[in-house]
Amino acid sequence: MGNFANKNLTDWHQLVESELKGGSSEDLIWDTPEEISIKPLYTAADLEGLEMSGQMPGFAPFSRGVRATMYANRPWTIRQYAGFATAQESNAFYKRNLAGGQKGLSVAFDLATHRGYDSDHPRVHGDVGKAGVAIDTVEDMKILFDGIPLNNVSVSMTMNGAVLPVLAAFIVAAEEQGCSKELLSGTIQNDILKEFMVRNTYIYPPAPSMRIVADIISYTAVEMPKFNSISISGYHMQEAGANLVQELAFTLANGKEYVSTAVNNGLDVDKFAPRLSFFFCVGMNFFMEVAKLRAARSLWARLMSDFHPKDPRSLMLRTHVQTSGVSITEQDPYNNVIRTAYEAMAAVLGGTQSLHTNALDEAVALPSDFSARIARNTQLILSEETGITKVVDPLGGSYYIESLTASMEQEALKLIKKIDEMGGMTEAVANGMPKLMIEETAARRQARIDRGEEVIVGVNRYKNNDDDMPELLSIDNTAVREAQIQRTETIRKNRNKKEWMSAVDALTRGAENKENLLALSIEAMRQRATVGEVSEALEKVFTRYSATTRSVSGIYGSAYKKDAEFNDIQNKIKSFLNEEGRRPRMLVVKLGQDGHDRGAKIIATAFADIGFDVDIGPLFQTPEEAAREAIENDVHVIGVSSLAAGHNTLVPELINMLQEFNANEILVVCGGVIPPNDYEFLKNAGVAAVFGPGTNIPSAATKVIELIRQRSKAA
Amino acid sequence: METQYSNEDDIYSLDIESLLSGNRRSLARSITLIESSRFDHRDLAENLLSRIMPRTGGAIRIGISGPPGVGKSTFIESFGLYLSNKNLKIAVLTIDPSSKRSGGSILGDKTRMPKLAQLENAFIRSSPAGLTLGGVARRTRETILLCESAGYDVVIVETVGVGQSEYAVADMVDMFVLLVQPGGGDDLQGIKRGVMELADLIIVTKSDGDLKHSAQRTAQDFRSALSFLRNESDDWVPKVIPCSALNSEGIEEAWKIMQLFHSKLNTSGGLARKRGSQASSWMWAEVQETLVGRLRESQSAKKLAQKLESDVINGLVAPGVAARHLLNAFLADD
Repeated sequence: MGNFANKNLTDWHQLVESELKGGSSEDLIWDTPEEISIKPLYTAADLEGLEMSGQMPGFAPFSRGVRATMYANRPWTIRQYAGFATAQESNAFYKRNLAGGQKGLSVAFDLATHRGYDSDHPRVHGDVGKAGVAIDTVEDMKILFDGIPLNNVSVSMTMNGAVLPVLAAFIVAAEEQGCSKELLSGTIQNDILKEFMVRNTYIYPPAPSMRIVADIISYTAVEMPKFNSISISGYHMQEAGANLVQELAFTLANGKEYVSTAVNNGLDVDKFAPRLSFFFCVGMNFFMEVAKLRAARSLWARLMSDFHPKDPRSLMLRTHVQTSGVSITEQDPYNNVIRTAYEAMAAVLGGTQSLHTNALDEAVALPSDFSARIARNTQLILSEETGITKVVDPLGGSYYIESLTASMEQEALKLIKKIDEMGGMTEAVANGMPKLMIEETAARRQARIDRGEEVIVGVNRYKNNDDDMPELLSIDNTAVREAQIQRTETIRKNRNKKEWMSAVDALTRGAENKENLLALSIEAMRQRATVGEVSEALEKVFTRYSATTRSVSGIYGSAYKKDAEFNDIQNKIKSFLNEEGRRPRMLVVKLGQDGHDRGAKIIATAFADIGFDVDIGPLFQTPEEAAREAIENDVHVIGVSSLAAGHNTLVPELINMLQEFNANEILVVCGGVIPPNDYEFLKNAGVAAVFGPGTNIPSAATKVIELIRQRSKAA
Repeated sequence: METQYSNEDDIYSLDIESLLSGNRRSLARSITLIESSRFDHRDLAENLLSRIMPRTGGAIRIGISGPPGVGKSTFIESFGLYLSNKNLKIAVLTIDPSSKRSGGSILGDKTRMPKLAQLENAFIRSSPAGLTLGGVARRTRETILLCESAGYDVVIVETVGVGQSEYAVADMVDMFVLLVQPGGGDDLQGIKRGVMELADLIIVTKSDGDLKHSAQRTAQDFRSALSFLRNESDDWVPKVIPCSALNSEGIEEAWKIMQLFHSKLNTSGGLARKRGSQASSWMWAEVQETLVGRLRESQSAKKLAQKLESDVINGLVAPGVAARHLLNAFLADD
């Protein structure tokens, strides 16, 4: 047995210098997008003075986990988010998944439902059945859960805008299935603040929206003790480009705002705080993600203690995690299985309560049965083959993880204080500050990826030229819409008109007064009111919100200072300007009810920095409105950003509209989440180019300039 | 594109008919033509403008300005919907003369009129920022003429910039409307005295709900402040009204005041005088811009200018002397 001398940091530094041939450990410091500097080595010295080391799991502030035994007793819940176009298809899918070992259900709704429109509303005909299931009435909800025992299966619903009619329909469907509301378990997302920040599927202005949140919290606190009234979500922030500190800080600041709102409404904090749940994204920054979840728990406990709860569960942050959707790629798609597996592992090491693993084709489509099986198995293997569940918080006490957890907590707290100074999150959201901060971070990251500084295997490095995407699921939007409209019409015909009308009127009056809107919505849905009718009854009082679009500029371009290729494009634009008498002008639009505007905003800011004049269309435009905006501003090209699969209906309509207005020379290009199978269809419809996920923006810009020149030569 | 504007007889003789008939596409293309920085386009644009001149002047030209967040777009939308219901055609031109950018711009993000944008009677155009304030102003003035020739009854110039832009806009419209928010107290929201002097109408926005009383108080504050600013010999005494775009209150009143303004100034001859003096100052501004532009492009003047500039910087020659020297050389050359 050898005896080894004790070595200290000074010894290590000396050895580093010799390994680096004169360099120092400083050269190896990694400055993360969160502006946290990560050293190449952490030691016991980094833990000095840190409060969190030595914490026991199950006790506040819970950095090591909310339960004493964590997965050693019971593993996390495998909860795969899914929704197919129709209630029947989704129902069959749920049943297969439950049989396959899944414990909870997660429902994705289509965009029309999210925004409170019935399937027959003229503004949504490209959106019905896209990105989730269409729900118009209680009958749809009953089909969705047919044969699924709602007293045993927990259901998580991603719904924020039309949260009242949808939750009401769920309650009534359960009731008619024979399950009373006290027994319902699960979660409704009901997190409207982040909608104003990133996802944009709101209906009403911030203030009445917050009132709806409070009404739901009050109602469920009394009537539905097993149901989580809100899922405070950072997921969509990271998806929209937020860094991990921003995701953490904004999410907890939102949570704090909901708690204040409910407490100000006279609710006892212990009556609802134990039922608040969270939802985070876990991406590829492995250790930082683990630290984020640990920091989230202890920071939340500290923030909540300001409300002086008596029940320790009020201090507890319980969370669902989904692996990152933006981290998965269209190129070389089987790599996504590997990415998702690492992300899932980080989520589990961070101590999540439930987990969704993305399917390998989710960058471009809803999961097929095949890809859904692989995604589910990723979790089953992690849970049942690796032994990872046997020990609570296995990374606890790691010099690096503990130190990183503390840094994350400190940085997030700084940002939360900034929001407090603005008067809280409702104010900050109305002001647009968090959205702009996230967009700046997103623009910076896009520049790093386009410049190859951040590696994405198969996209900007180690490209595989024969992409083999497995067979994708595609949805016949027209058929879904027609079937849906027919069913809803039948219900409208057969309901008791008198009862229905008085229930809907009661809602409008209830909105004017201070009655609980969930209770009134339940009655209206029971009388077979539709999602659209309930939303409209409230809209009469609350109005429909249209947000001001703000945009960042200069950030993308500044990453390219003195870049030869970038200068080359700028020179191309200069010669374009000299020859044409103006800069290339592009209108960036999102069509339909898809509110994911990260892609559109990045394209707009990057193209403007490159030298285009860029018009940004408002969210939720119809093809006709977009065509008119393009014509009146006489743009050269319309760039349609699509994320939710409405493009096959909406883009051909846009091109028809341009023809009708006699504006054939305006080019149409598409970008975003577009399955490769749709490329040919779109090109045949007259689309000049399709740019998939992972497109390098400067080369896209070069291509667009070329296309404009070709088109004008032909004209 | 090369051939797009070059065959004037083919394209622009057609376009003029179609422009005068109010075709949306032709109006949009004509605006692109007058915005173009190409010299041969300038000739075409001037030709187009001379041909439509007899058909211009028929609109009420209104400038709208106000600090960010005051609700300009919201007001213009409600106002536009109201006018459209009266069967009037309304054009909204959005300009940002204060931002002088050499690169690309982001447009349309600051102004949102989704309902107005759908109406047959409305036309909305935002223009990219330019290198010079004068350049933006000229393009906007010419765009007003194009809109008039296409039969628009009301042309609104909305400025999203702050600072100098109010002066530029006031100098191209008949009536300058300033939007302000309720509240703000004694300092009148830091609005410069000079800008207040430009206003023919001040509208206090958001006069609804909790802010209604505050809006009425603010209106009163502005009324008393205005009474110290203008003398009574003017044709027009500026008005102040509260307005709620949300409840469509004050919109009709605003329109009545604008009509009254227009008819009063028409009767007194004030409108003709105002437009006349705007036209003449526009002409001189053009002379100035063009002259300086030509001078900067002239090769011989450029050399001399470089030398004189460095002499001026080094304190060898007085700036005034250098300027006169440069001009004399340029004019003699020319």
